[in-house]
Amino acid sequence: MAAPGTWWSGTQRVAIAQAARGGTAEVIPTAASEAARTIYSEITTTSRRWVEEILAGGLTMPAFVEVIGVVSRLAAVDEFTRALGRPLEPLPDSLPGAPSRVEPPPSRQGRSWVPMVGGMSITRALSLVPAESRAQEEIHGPLYMSYSQMADQGFERELTRPQMELVAGRVSAINECFY
Amino acid sequence: MMLRESSEAFGYEVDLRAVTDPAIDSGIPHGSLLVAFSNAVLSRGRAEPLRSELVEAVGEEGLVATAGVIANFSMMNRIADATGMPVGKRFLAETEDVRELLGLERFIHES
Repeated sequence: MAAPGTWWSGTQRVAIAQAARGGTAEVIPTAASEAARTIYSEITTTSRRWVEEILAGGLTMPAFVEVIGVVSRLAAVDEFTRALGRPLEPLPDSLPGAPSRVEPPPSRQGRSWVPMVGGMSITRALSLVPAESRAQEEIHGPLYMSYSQMADQGFERELTRPQMELVAGRVSAINECFY
Repeated sequence: MMLRESSEAFGYEVDLRAVTDPAIDSGIPHGSLLVAFSNAVLSRGRAEPLRSELVEAVGEEGLVATAGVIANFSMMNRIADATGMPVGKRFLAETEDVRELLGLERFIHES
């Protein structure tokens, strides 16, 4: 989070996280703050129109996708910390440097609200910004299981697969996530 | 879907309604405790003494694994619902009975 990303600097990425937690962040556009707050705290309220309003506020689609990546991983870290009964980790000091501004690969927008590369699936949801997609996959394995392990219904670690899926289902129901 | 398939793999008779109705026993070992703990964490309620009960039931490493699943789906739900991730037609057809049983259509976001 603290390092420069693809479309936001390290300072801006930390500010996005700060806005997500409800703080003020003057180094990012208002639309980015609003997007971060909604994704972190009001994810049940999103819609295609909401995305259109964020983009109309001056964010490019890849910059918006990077906000989704930063905030969704922050939510993961924060919920993990809360579950263990510990205080939230302070946000890191940002690292210097400019965003890479690597142009997105060819993408297609189907029924989703953001374009994706190589087809539509949850593992490709952030593929418009490949660095965010990789970061998502890197955290997914240690927290839950790797993409390849997901095919194994008999998977077991400290919990059995059904125990893990019960928690996953309950979390998704609380978050009102149809997917 | 994954809950149903993995329960079959482990030989559990799962009641999927436990996902949307915490009062229902899922039939999965320590299921009620796992659901109650998830509720407490995400509602910012009192997670104790549930956390201690969970440690007693599944051990400290089990608590960490539970925290990991809560964290991962907190992330994945946000990604799905900020990108408008659609559910595939085949998956929709295969899960029609479950969606009706649990009333999941109410979770569809305005498009």
